[in-house]
Amino acid sequence: MADQLAMPHTATPAASVRTPSADIYAPQWRNIIFVAPFLFFFTTLLLFPLLWGIWLSFHKADTFSSGNFVGLGNYVRLYNDKVFLQSIWNTFYFVLLTVPTLALIGLFLALCLNRRTRTAAVLRTLFFSSSVLSVTIVTLIWRIVFIPNVGLLSTIYGWFGATAPAFISNPSLAMIGIAIATIWWCIGLPMMLFLSALQQIPRDIYEAAALDNANRWQTLRSITLPSIKRTFILVIIIQIVLQFQLFGQAWLMTRGGPNNLTKPIVLYIYDTAFRRWDLGMGAAASEILFILILVAAMAQYLVARNKGDRA
Amino acid sequence: MTMRKMLFAAVSAGAMALASPSLAATELTVQRFFGACDADFGTNTDVGKAVGECGIITSLINKFNADNPDVHVSVTTVEWPGYDQLTAQFASGDAPDIVTIHESALSDYQSKGLLMPLDDLLKSVGVTPDAFTDAARNGATKDGKIYGLPIDSWTMLYHINMDLFKQADLVNADGTPILPKSPEELLAQAEQFKQKTGKPYFVQNLANETALYTRNLYTYLFQQNSDFFADPKHVKLNTPEAKKVVEMYKAIFDKGYTTKDLDYGGAINAFLAGQGGVQLNGTWVVGDNNAQSQTKGTALNKGGYAVYPYPQLFGGTHAQYADGHTWAVSQKDRTPEQTAAIGKFLKFFADNDFDWSRTGHLPAYKAIITSEAFKALPHRNTIAAVADLGKPLPSAVQRQFAIQDIIGEEMSAAITGQKDVDAALSDMESRVNELLANI
Repeated sequence: MADQLAMPHTATPAASVRTPSADIYAPQWRNIIFVAPFLFFFTTLLLFPLLWGIWLSFHKADTFSSGNFVGLGNYVRLYNDKVFLQSIWNTFYFVLLTVPTLALIGLFLALCLNRRTRTAAVLRTLFFSSSVLSVTIVTLIWRIVFIPNVGLLSTIYGWFGATAPAFISNPSLAMIGIAIATIWWCIGLPMMLFLSALQQIPRDIYEAAALDNANRWQTLRSITLPSIKRTFILVIIIQIVLQFQLFGQAWLMTRGGPNNLTKPIVLYIYDTAFRRWDLGMGAAASEILFILILVAAMAQYLVARNKGDRA
Repeated sequence: MTMRKMLFAAVSAGAMALASPSLAATELTVQRFFGACDADFGTNTDVGKAVGECGIITSLINKFNADNPDVHVSVTTVEWPGYDQLTAQFASGDAPDIVTIHESALSDYQSKGLLMPLDDLLKSVGVTPDAFTDAARNGATKDGKIYGLPIDSWTMLYHINMDLFKQADLVNADGTPILPKSPEELLAQAEQFKQKTGKPYFVQNLANETALYTRNLYTYLFQQNSDFFADPKHVKLNTPEAKKVVEMYKAIFDKGYTTKDLDYGGAINAFLAGQGGVQLNGTWVVGDNNAQSQTKGTALNKGGYAVYPYPQLFGGTHAQYADGHTWAVSQKDRTPEQTAAIGKFLKFFADNDFDWSRTGHLPAYKAIITSEAFKALPHRNTIAAVADLGKPLPSAVQRQFAIQDIIGEEMSAAITGQKDVDAALSDMESRVNELLANI
């Protein structure tokens, strides 16, 4: 492509005379036109809100006015707020519940469905189909499953004369209920990532293993798993960043209850900034979430860089 | 030349077509909660045929549009209570013209200058505050001015399944239900009910709920003369009075006198299916429950439906927590036509408040609450007393919905045993005070 662009300069002497020092990589002010649209949206939709958020977090502000500078006052209030500390723990607990499960079930499904049969193709579509639903539909479906007395789970337990576990109101089960709905919703992406990784493993390694009389378990442990190690790490990191931002499921299924045990950081921010109008403290909580996600993103960057070094 | 004339005619016709809707009618945006029921009442203008909050309000607005061709009201329905959206709309300068706001939430918006004082506008259409009931007038008045057209007063009630009460021997000789007069009597009657019917006395929506817990606490604090909001900026909830109430509800929970894992919709269904004796719910379900009791084959039809104010369990003032709904008008620049159209809309609701009171809410107008037509509505003889019993929080208390969430969360934790009662009361008090100190 670069050769083709350079051709006119070398082929026609007249052209090279007109632009004796034509260096297409030389900095030129008009080039800004090409990056201006991106810069505009990046600045107005990302950079400006980010800086404004940081500025707000040092102020006592409500939704309709930005008040006095309070320094680190909002951060001190957060540090002393049991509900905020609970929400950080809740978020980590949720990540712990969902991410390993998503990775393991995703891998298991990918291993089962990595074949060229029609049934496998249909099942792949079926398992991926939940990913296209919106969070509202997903939580509606799971509420219908979990709702006491008339829900699907209650009906099934009822056949055996048992009482169904209260997944949306029991303190020790509520987060697990949200995790189940989330895993059902998000399983498509890990499965697809693992499938694509599995399909990149050269067939001849398996053929060599077969000639060596390796059984299925040996093949899985010595060939398949080491070959998809990097995808495994990628899936884990993508899911950590995604699940850290839990909001919709918790808001729609439990409203953060019982006793704030399913209130994640994003819901805490929403509650504080928009329901209590305490915009300054909401902004401060957002900055803490920003730092947490930044750490996760840095981890992703480091892993990606190591991958590059090894390759 | 002919071609130019034709073009001119076509452009003029186009411009007329575009302009005509705005010439024909003044557009008003109305935002409300009370649910959506367009499938049943979307085109109904015969208000008398409508039942329930949603049916009646939808039909009333349809009728207003039909009766007033010069005004067109477009309605946005929000999920109850809709204040998150409304706050965002105000912040972005895109608030609806007219919006449903609880009397308890009016001061949040009024204190920021976001609502229009309505005294002059209401006067211009012949509605004067002396027509309002005392409860409605006090609830809608902030800093000496009216900031919302009151449409009702509401409270929580004992909705009773009389068939189960008869089975439990909790019926007087005159057929009225026997209700408790002290916390001890309440627990004894609930035990008797459970023994005789095998079902819980209460049907409560306790799953991830805050409003019910908080309203119950307010009511029984009022009944003990506890002035917990003597200072609107500082609450006192870590008190022996509050402890008594929380411990009473905890005993009800621990001894299985209540349903436990139901959410709001689930609790309504459970009560209608006859799964408990008393549902704690608001005035707004009286109409629906009464309609059920008249339908053959339903649990409420079997032995009848009765509805009463909360019983007086403590020795203080006879009182219970109440609030009210209003139509508030956002503060913005408007043409005289738009302001006049808003006046018409408010006047229409003031004139038709009887229809709204068929929901079960108490009317906001003296003339209606004392009318024979209102008294003739089912169960009004037992619940009309709420007009005098009803007591809101002091109107200067801000963020009442946020406070309700905090109190409800902590009460729920104490009652279900996740937290010690004293710890919950202490956390409740400090969290509310932290919120109020930072407004």
